[in-house]
Amino acid sequence: MKHLQAINPKAELLSKAVAEERIAEVTAMSAIAGCTATVDPGWEVDAFGGVASLCQPMEADLYGCADPCWWPAQVPDTMVNYPDWHKNAPSAKDDWRALDTVFPKDAL
Amino acid sequence: MGGALLSLALLSPAIPADAAANADALLIQRCSVCHADARGQLARIAGQRKTPEGWLMTLVRMQNTHGLKISDEERRALVKRLADKQGLAPSETAPVRYALERRLNTVEQFESEALTQMCARCHSGARVALQRRSEKEWAHLVHFHLGQLPSLEFQSLGRDRDWFGVALKEVVPDLAKQFSVDDPAWKDWQAQTPQPVTGTWSVSGHLPGKGGFIAEMSVKSQPDKKDHYVVSWQGKYDDGSVLNGQGSAVLYTGYEWRAHVDVDGVAWRQVFALDHDALKGRMFQREHDEIGADIVAVRHESGNSRVLAVHPAYLKTGQTGTLTVVGNALSGKLALPEGVRLLKIIEQSPRRIVAQVVADRRALGVHTLSVGKTKGGTLAVFERIERIRVLPEFAVARVGGNGGSEARVDARFEAEAWARSASGEYRIGLVPAKWSVAPFNADAERDRDVEFAGAMNAVTGIFTPAPAGPNPARHLMTNNAGNLAVTAEVTDGKTALQGTGQLIVTVQRWNNPPIP
Repeated sequence: MKHLQAINPKAELLSKAVAEERIAEVTAMSAIAGCTATVDPGWEVDAFGGVASLCQPMEADLYGCADPCWWPAQVPDTMVNYPDWHKNAPSAKDDWRALDTVFPKDAL
Repeated sequence: MGGALLSLALLSPAIPADAAANADALLIQRCSVCHADARGQLARIAGQRKTPEGWLMTLVRMQNTHGLKISDEERRALVKRLADKQGLAPSETAPVRYALERRLNTVEQFESEALTQMCARCHSGARVALQRRSEKEWAHLVHFHLGQLPSLEFQSLGRDRDWFGVALKEVVPDLAKQFSVDDPAWKDWQAQTPQPVTGTWSVSGHLPGKGGFIAEMSVKSQPDKKDHYVVSWQGKYDDGSVLNGQGSAVLYTGYEWRAHVDVDGVAWRQVFALDHDALKGRMFQREHDEIGADIVAVRHESGNSRVLAVHPAYLKTGQTGTLTVVGNALSGKLALPEGVRLLKIIEQSPRRIVAQVVADRRALGVHTLSVGKTKGGTLAVFERIERIRVLPEFAVARVGGNGGSEARVDARFEAEAWARSASGEYRIGLVPAKWSVAPFNADAERDRDVEFAGAMNAVTGIFTPAPAGPNPARHLMTNNAGNLAVTAEVTDGKTALQGTGQLIVTVQRWNNPPIP
């Protein structure tokens, strides 16, 4: 980290938390079954165990993250596994209601 | 003409009558196109064992990504066969059943830091721990991840290390050791005699936000369908409201009970483990799996004398209480601990004893009851509450609805009371509380999370999150996410006590397989 410098408020927060060894405090939240907290940012929870540093509204840049499969366990990745997931929703911000779930319901 | 007949013959092989043989034929027919190896085995499939949900996820992936064409009925048959033939033993699923039971507020803890960092940073660690593979198959899984999800090397906890090297050289051998396809537990389990499940079951349960219940569940075989059952359900909550339902069940792997039950017009799913005439697990609403009840049950026909539970499971000194002891083959006298005086037996049958009692200070503590020679069920006697714990301590709710495909995910909290005795703290049980939320920290206060994220029901402890979608009323149109402190206020006599927990209200997910 010594060669990296924080250039925005979020990065400063992270550097400060690391310096104060506060990252350990959020481990419990990060480990909730199936939630992603660590993929900078996480999907459900940010690195501080809160939601203030998430990419939100997530609809603003959803496809920028769905395409490179950033949270494939939560958001269908459009690069490999679900290329047509967003075909009925050209703009996530305006058309998010047209995004469907990808696992068949009641399958067992 | 001859060619057409030959094609027809290939498409419709002679199907054996038996369901398992049918499924085996289907496996060869549909899977060997890609998976056949030189020895005539189904490559990749042979080196793995999974739960019914695990095999389902594999088959759905084959359909989504690799063009497998099968009907829903065929998929069910394949899941059944694979889970029976290459499943997990009860001892192998026991530590991670929370994932199958959809207890999604479980905080996972694994000894292996590598498992947490390499696997559980994206999905539950349980998804890994519910599979058994050969070392070669675990290595294939690593290759699969890098091939299908290539950005994982660039993410946090990926780019700071030689991810591929660590995965293959350190994680794979560790997984092969911890979760081996050749674990003797599976062979031992396969050698066991099949367990009976038909008959009538006494059920005791607890639904957060509503309370305890006692029910009877009848299980009958479906004609000509091995391991398939018809289920009916009759019961009452402790508050007197009715809980009736009916549905169907399948028993996988000799013990994995999965049922769909319609309870008063709402679809519920049961995920139980069968263990020597006992069932244990969780039943939850199909569309809202955060709404779910813990269940224990005993089969009447077993003849086993068993005390399942006591409702309610606690008693305050000096107050008269009515206890219901539920179980099977209960005979003899209800033995109460010293300091708990029996005032009246209101009802006594082999499956239920209702007694009016009063307790004094001599009984302070937690006691196991007994009926005749049978011990079971606990009763806590307390004088005053010392501490309140909010359960779950951490919970995740999700925004939803508002025209989108994903329903909101509520959070349900309960207040757990603890008392103190000379020998230390002891658990009293779940008590009514007055519920509220507040900003968890300065960020949450600044972003007015309490105002936007949803509403807490002060009486039930059920938090209903706000609608999905960008919210123009919020800074930068952000979602209705929030970071909230949850407070339970409990009044015990003149003393007011508080417990706190944390609630994250976050965004919806569109990828919702049965194992998170």
